Amino acid sequence: MNLTSKISILSFFCLLFITACDKEDPDVVEPPELITTVNVTLNTSMGGPAVGMSFRDLDGDGGMEATTVGGTVAANTTYTGSIELLNESISPSESITEEIQEEDEEHQFFFESSIPGVDVAYNDQDADGNPIGLSFILTTGDVGSGDLTITLKHEPEKFEDGVADGDITNAGGETDIEVTFPVDVQ
Amino acid sequence: MSNKLYWIILINLYVTSLAIGQDCVLTVRGQVTDEVSSSPLSYANVFIQETQVGTITDDKGGFILANVCPGHYHIIISHIGCQSEKFHFDVTQDTSLNILLTHTPTELGTVVISGKQDGLSKQSNSSINRASIEDNSHQNLSGLLENETGVHLIKNGNGISKPVVHGLYGNRLIVLNNGIVQSGQQWGNDHSPEIDPFAADKITVLKGASILEIGGGNVGSIILSEPNRIEREPHLHGQANYIFESNGRGNTLNLRLGKYNKALAWRVNGTLKKYGDRKTANYLLNNSGVEEANLALQLEKTIKDRLFVDFYASTFNTRLGILRGSQIGNLTDLEAALSRAEPFYTEADFSYTIEAPRQEVAHHLAKIKAKYIINDDRYIEFIGAGQINNRKEFDIRRSGRTDIPSLSLIQYTFNTNINYKHSINDQLDWKSGYQNIVTDNTNNPETGILPLIPDYIAWKNGVYSKISYTKSNFVIDAGARYDYDRQTALTISTSIPREIIRYENAFHNVTGIFAVTRKIGAKQSLAYNAGYSMRNPGINELYSQGLHQGVSGIEEGDISLKMERALKNTLEYKFVPSSDIALNVLVYHQYFNDYIYLNPQEEIRLTIRGAFPVFKYEQTDASIYGLDFSSQFTLSRSLLLVLKYSYLRGQDISQDIPLIFMPPNSLFGSINYRINGLKTKFKNTKLENPEVEINNRFVFRQNNLLVSQDFVPSPGAYNLTSLKFSTDIITQALKIRSFIKADNLFNVEYRDYLNRQRYFADDLGFSLVAGINVKF
Repeated sequence: MNLTSKISILSFFCLLFITACDKEDPDVVEPPELITTVNVTLNTSMGGPAVGMSFRDLDGDGGMEATTVGGTVAANTTYTGSIELLNESISPSESITEEIQEEDEEHQFFFESSIPGVDVAYNDQDADGNPIGLSFILTTGDVGSGDLTITLKHEPEKFEDGVADGDITNAGGETDIEVTFPVDVQ
Repeated sequence: MSNKLYWIILINLYVTSLAIGQDCVLTVRGQVTDEVSSSPLSYANVFIQETQVGTITDDKGGFILANVCPGHYHIIISHIGCQSEKFHFDVTQDTSLNILLTHTPTELGTVVISGKQDGLSKQSNSSINRASIEDNSHQNLSGLLENETGVHLIKNGNGISKPVVHGLYGNRLIVLNNGIVQSGQQWGNDHSPEIDPFAADKITVLKGASILEIGGGNVGSIILSEPNRIEREPHLHGQANYIFESNGRGNTLNLRLGKYNKALAWRVNGTLKKYGDRKTANYLLNNSGVEEANLALQLEKTIKDRLFVDFYASTFNTRLGILRGSQIGNLTDLEAALSRAEPFYTEADFSYTIEAPRQEVAHHLAKIKAKYIINDDRYIEFIGAGQINNRKEFDIRRSGRTDIPSLSLIQYTFNTNINYKHSINDQLDWKSGYQNIVTDNTNNPETGILPLIPDYIAWKNGVYSKISYTKSNFVIDAGARYDYDRQTALTISTSIPREIIRYENAFHNVTGIFAVTRKIGAKQSLAYNAGYSMRNPGINELYSQGLHQGVSGIEEGDISLKMERALKNTLEYKFVPSSDIALNVLVYHQYFNDYIYLNPQEEIRLTIRGAFPVFKYEQTDASIYGLDFSSQFTLSRSLLLVLKYSYLRGQDISQDIPLIFMPPNSLFGSINYRINGLKTKFKNTKLENPEVEINNRFVFRQNNLLVSQDFVPSPGAYNLTSLKFSTDIITQALKIRSFIKADNLFNVEYRDYLNRQRYFADDLGFSLVAGINVKF
């Protein structure tokens, strides 16, 4: 309100002296809720190296192209996965993961894999006992390759049929993230 | 909706003294004539409220009321299909009233070309009168226009609707609120005009080419929302309206008070509205409520019969809910929504609560107009106005940011007009003027989102001149206008580091009109109207950048866009053989050079939120043509039939593909039956003019569309039926009108091509509306 009235007073004087006055520069907005980066980390206790995948689009929609880094995982292995979300358009960068944790009942990740033999299961729960997906278990089968699509929904209908099992069909809500990683199983 | 929209009563009261009267032996006699066909109007009801005495005009339109005492009276006149109107007159002696009733719709009936008008234009128009505004203002301004030929609505759910005239809307359609160009965020398809229809006495759609007084750069039609001058009623007068609607459990309350005084006449109009969740044929539309609070003040002062000063101030404030299930993210979400029988988040519990996604909009207007009559032939007029438009849109956001708007814009507009008119002789009028409009638009950075529309300031300076030449059976209007438009826009770059880029633009606009109206005999007329106009690319078309929330697409402006040029030709034929029949046919064609439109690109842009289609503002050559037909038949003393048809086709002629988002064709019919036998009278209360109306609107499917031009095929044709019963209840002090109607009588399940909510949900189902209007 304070700002609005400031703007109005300024504008009013500006318009009174139309020719003499120019439009002031706008305040540059640093979008606080922008998600620029998705980091996926896969760890295994079965002896292989940790795998990191990422999607980065530092300037948000439009502008520069986004970059995707996929990963190579070992066959017939169980990985513990975690997802980190960042806003790197501001400095220092800000963790969006915490926002998701704070509002865990209103968020859920969905995993869709076109890689033969790869299966993803949730490894965390919100207060209602429904999954979130910030932590998950990924198991691989035989050698192959394909895509892993990770979707984050805001305000999904978690109690609808199949949603808690990871089926996105009845989830609704807005998609906050939808990224696809190429994955090789070797 | 009612076909009664079309009834305009113009009354000229000529009170002549016939003899010196004595107590209660006076006679009031009169003659009712149809202004359009000049034929006497029989079977009109004439009624004096205070004495509860009434009669019906004879076959020569005449009536006599005997044994009237001297005093103040209100006469109520009505005719089939036409809501009654009330006028004040004094009886001191035997009195003769000469009443001219425009009982045919204005769009059918402006054959009259004698008498030079001071109005804006003689071009084709159709208008809605006060009585119809009173019956239908539970809807918004656009909703009132829905059954007019050539008019359609772009909706976003049911609270939000924008009028479309001959296929044009938004930046291309001017809405005039009490003579001032309504200034707001017209570019948005989900932004309604912020006008309270209750504050108006007349809403007119001018369909011709262009109107010079109002502004260059207008390629479309014009909608005028106007209050009348304050009635010359020396006592405190007013009216109260209350309308309840079952669908949405909506309540609309309006109060109007006014008093005429030689020193100062005043009128106040206030409206309150509250709706909850609306319902389709089968399910509730959660979060579709509306709240509205409006106030308008009108003052008039006459100084020495030469200087007329009007002051008008209004405030319009609304909160609108948007269907929760229609806020989506990317294309995948849209596909998921499209495959649903019911939208996501549909709940069975009705609620008045309005949550995000929602809009909060305030529009304030203050206007002063001074008209100085130099002599019988000349006047000069000054109009100054200021407007503030404050729009906030709230989306569902993370971490408590839902209460922070995602779009927050404030716009200040200042208008200055000077007009000079000179009637050179009986045949020739000359009018000329200057107009200045300054618009200052600022994004409030509270949103924390990069703005879709940049901050800008725009200056418009225009001069015009026009002449009107009248001869016995024809009128010629011709004129030209020049505008110099300047804009400064400040965009923020989409790349990092964020930079501010300052754009300066200047445009020269030329507008020209030519119109001939020819009267053929007493019953027919032919009017040709041609207009050439240029329009600057709008700010959104030049500089939009980013994701358009709710449209689920990335929109990109193009700073290299050129002027859009349009040539519109209309030809209108009117035939009014008698007071019983009226026909009107209007054909139009509008050619566009460099028509600016949002073109879907082949490119799908990958963002962190998934894939989005990209739309770019581009230019092409286009043509829009169509036909409006309307007719009215008074079949008997108690039966009236109205038929209307609108046809429209829009084509991109460079690529030979259809233009998207063009209104489908529609057919409207109504029958009014006046129950003449029913004249109940209890003590001093009388039931007058009971009437039943049944109407039907059939909207064809929009077939002129390629599969690739939309996410889903256009929805099918639909047919809506409405049934209404209305009556007047007249007591010595009050005139009460009441009605009850059923809209979408058969609870038809349908979706409309121009309603963006059609991707997510059905349109409204059955609704019962009951209203009462008390005039005192």
